[in-house]
Amino acid sequence: MPQLGESIAEATIKEIKLEVGQTVKTDEDILEVETEKAMMEVTTPCPGKVVEVLAEIDVSYPVGSTLGYLEVDDSIAEKINIDPSEVQNPEPDKVSSNIKTEDDSASDSGALQTTSEDPNNPEVTPTIRGLPVPARASGATYISPRLRARMQELGLNAADLAGIAGTGAGGRVTVEDFESFMFDLETKKTSAASSMRIAVADSMRRSWTRPLATVGSPVCLENLLSHRKESSPKPGPTLYAIRALAIALSERTATAGRLVGNQIIHPSSIDIGFAVEVDDGVLVPVIRNVDQIPLRDLVEQYSALVESAKKRRLPKEASTPPGIATVTNFGSFGIVWATPIPLPEQNLVLGLGRGQQKPHWDAETSSWKPAIEAELTLSFDHRILDGGGAGRLLTRIAELLQRPSDL
Amino acid sequence: MAKSANQNQEPIGKLSTIAVDTYRWMVLARTFEDRISNIYRAGKIVGGVYVGKGQEAFSSSLASQLLKGQDIYSPLIRDMAGRAAFGEPLIDAARTYLGSAQGPTIGRDGNVHRGNSQEGMPTMISHLGAMISVVNGMLFARRLRKKLNTAVGAACIGDGATSTGAFHEALNMAAVEKLPLIISIANNQFAYSTPTDKQFACNELVDRAAGYGVNGININGTDLIECIEGFEKAISLARAGKGPQIVVGNLLRLSGHGEHDDSPYVSDELRSSDLGQDCLLKAKDRIIEESWCTEKECNDIQEQATIEVNTAIAQAESEKGPNPYSHDWNAYSSPSFRK
Amino acid sequence: MSISYLEAIREAQSLALENDKNVFIYGQDVGAFGGAFKATKDLFQKHPDRVIDSPISEDAMVGLAVGAAIEGMRPIIEMQFADFSSVGFNQIVNQAATLYWRTAVSCPITIRLPSGGTPGSGPFHSQCMETIYAHYPGTIVMTPATVEDAYSMLLEAIAIDDPVIFCEHKYLYYHLKSDSLPKQTLPAKNARIVRSGRHATVVTYSAMLHEALRAADNMKIDGYEIEVVDLRCIKPIDMGTVLGSIARTGRVLAIGEAFPWGGVTSEIISRVSSEGFNLLDAPPARLNSIDTPIPYHPDLWRYHRPTASSVEEELRKLIRE
Repeated sequence: MPQLGESIAEATIKEIKLEVGQTVKTDEDILEVETEKAMMEVTTPCPGKVVEVLAEIDVSYPVGSTLGYLEVDDSIAEKINIDPSEVQNPEPDKVSSNIKTEDDSASDSGALQTTSEDPNNPEVTPTIRGLPVPARASGATYISPRLRARMQELGLNAADLAGIAGTGAGGRVTVEDFESFMFDLETKKTSAASSMRIAVADSMRRSWTRPLATVGSPVCLENLLSHRKESSPKPGPTLYAIRALAIALSERTATAGRLVGNQIIHPSSIDIGFAVEVDDGVLVPVIRNVDQIPLRDLVEQYSALVESAKKRRLPKEASTPPGIATVTNFGSFGIVWATPIPLPEQNLVLGLGRGQQKPHWDAETSSWKPAIEAELTLSFDHRILDGGGAGRLLTRIAELLQRPSDL
Repeated sequence: MAKSANQNQEPIGKLSTIAVDTYRWMVLARTFEDRISNIYRAGKIVGGVYVGKGQEAFSSSLASQLLKGQDIYSPLIRDMAGRAAFGEPLIDAARTYLGSAQGPTIGRDGNVHRGNSQEGMPTMISHLGAMISVVNGMLFARRLRKKLNTAVGAACIGDGATSTGAFHEALNMAAVEKLPLIISIANNQFAYSTPTDKQFACNELVDRAAGYGVNGININGTDLIECIEGFEKAISLARAGKGPQIVVGNLLRLSGHGEHDDSPYVSDELRSSDLGQDCLLKAKDRIIEESWCTEKECNDIQEQATIEVNTAIAQAESEKGPNPYSHDWNAYSSPSFRK
Repeated sequence: MSISYLEAIREAQSLALENDKNVFIYGQDVGAFGGAFKATKDLFQKHPDRVIDSPISEDAMVGLAVGAAIEGMRPIIEMQFADFSSVGFNQIVNQAATLYWRTAVSCPITIRLPSGGTPGSGPFHSQCMETIYAHYPGTIVMTPATVEDAYSMLLEAIAIDDPVIFCEHKYLYYHLKSDSLPKQTLPAKNARIVRSGRHATVVTYSAMLHEALRAADNMKIDGYEIEVVDLRCIKPIDMGTVLGSIARTGRVLAIGEAFPWGGVTSEIISRVSSEGFNLLDAPPARLNSIDTPIPYHPDLWRYHRPTASSVEEELRKLIRE
């Protein structure tokens, strides 16, 4: 019996609109009841099948009592927070439909349930679940209402406070600390952050709220480089990586999925973005359905996107919707190895480092031979992928890069 | 609408005139309150209804001898007859009971909590005995300003109220200040269910007067003529500067404490005693017997009363109650403190 | 020339009696005797018909005042001690405070309550009753803390057309002196910032103002600047000034001599929390007397009420939060 209104403690069944065996949807009217104040409908909390109806016409039931049983799928049960192993079959609660004494009304209150082990000292369990919150907060991370309001006014967030030493109780940053920090800034040389910078800062801050990790592996580039030499037009090394990543992902789409609540949302198309450095920031144009387009057919599109990006004039279809993973070639800056941060809406970024001559053991000739090698790194959201999964993905990419003519 | 002798500013003269006029107010009061009780039982009045059945003679014979525009009259719960005699428009009573926004308290208070202090009839609060000191204050102020002349102030209470501190303090203060105060005490034998032997230990309630150094008059409250003569004496003594006067009317409450009460605690013996006689019937018999009024004239009075009552109630019923959304929710009169 | 808080009250009454024939004073011992605290000394000699002795009947005194108000007069009722006004409680809150609401007739009465504790005055000669009367709609409650306010606010109280409960502090009667009476005044319903500061705001009224100022002086030695707001009138409360101050300091300590359950300090905290939550840098704090009747023994009494040192202690805790 749900809580049908403030101060309503019970209701009388007037009409039963379901029968055993019936299948019901969510929010379906199943009972008509009468409270002290009005006639009301009771609706189903979820879809299911009716297995038992305990309610009887013209009998009054207190709020919280069991009126019947629905059989539901485990997933539904999970959704509405029922542990299937905990379900018992208690006796139905009934209250006689005439007079309630004062004692009855105390125990009939629907908002709290009491365990009746010790009637003199009932333990009360609130029916509303949630994490306990301390009534008074203090300490280094505490931001008072005043400080929060001030920060909001200036468009700042907690990350911006990271550099401020707090002199308040427990080391917290007080408004005074904050304001002397801000005053202090005025004595320093400042330049306005461009809107690009601010956008990237915000994006990285949001991304960083996830647990990120990186795996890396060297990949031999000899095959890739000789394939490139013989191609015309020449695909950039990044494009090989884009294509390899796309094929690898198409074989296991879950690895590029998004975690929302307790669901993994699989990507519907393999759209890969790649980082292009522009003034004061990075743009990430996106190529759509990369798994379905062979490498040579991507070259023109890729070059055009790089040009547009550099001019900061990306066409809309190249940025919206965002891709499912990104490739970044920091090797072009001379960097050997890095741990890039995935975009906040993605959980994978593949990094390609600078090619270097490295000695490779040639088993056939039992000798060291020089080969050009680069570090391949995969940064990922550890909530979706573990080291093993990330490693397998990376290995597959490296494998694909050894047969560039199949890309 | 019929006017009482005092409203015509004629001197309080012939007993016959006063008696018939007073009878008229009694009939009006009884007719009105019977009708209001019926409406209450039909569930159309929210809150309480308290009537003065059996006390009409005692109540109206005081007010009909006061001078409206000069004297002060503070009625209490069972003084419908007195209010009518003092000149309260019947429509005020109907509007207050039926919750009309045009009533004197615009819905902020109900039933008998109504009045018009600028015409000498202050509005009561529920705390018994509390109005006596207000009447004191009104008299006191006039005297301070040298505007008292021969005015008197009357406050009405019942036997129960004589137990309150408010009664004691106010009567004592009036006696010390020698104010022209008349306290009319309707001793109807019960305060709700409490009989008088649980309310006071004096032999007679009027004995209290001696303790305050004031004059006390003890009368048969069911007898119209005795009431008229008793109050006439009290009023003239007060006007003559003899200080506070207490008039105790001995009678029986002929209704429940309220219309929600059926007074099971009143014994049949009491009901059939002399105290239990209906003053209205007694008065009618008497004025006919004295040839001050004919049977037909009495019937006319009743008919007239019925018409007036029905008109006032129909009017009040047709009016709207106060609108909470546009109500002036302000308890202050000073502009700078109003919201 | 030096004029005390009590003399200022007497001066105000004298002026009121002079200027308006409708004003009269009614209370025990106010006539020839001049009042228990001499608040009406010599006034009877000047206006024998309008400074009148009453019997010990607080209920009837207030009822009389209401009746006189209905007739257009402006009575001042002197209660001998605030503590005794409880006998007249019904007439104050149910008759006087509701008169205008029920009948559209104004009730311009002033009830003077000698309030607050002095050493040895004990539980029934020391109470601060402002909370009880402020609770009821229709009342205005004033609590002057200075000689100037005792004078100007009493004059305003008498002129207001609604019932004013005027809480005079007995400790200030003879202890507080000023050089002169004010010519220009701040309207009674405005709070005054008595001392400006940065680190915290103290909101208080009546005798506690002086404890707060002493505490503020002490804190200045350590470099803390405490802003002190004197409410002056506790019903209505000038929240504009209070919130404006907290906007500057971010911290508030409300202090009252009255008992801790409910009251002015609770009202300040609740309004600041709901109307000024984002102004707060620390939880709002309050300090009242201990939750027991007021003790007689001077040592117990001194401990029972907030003092400059207990105020200082609370302020330091507040600033350290």
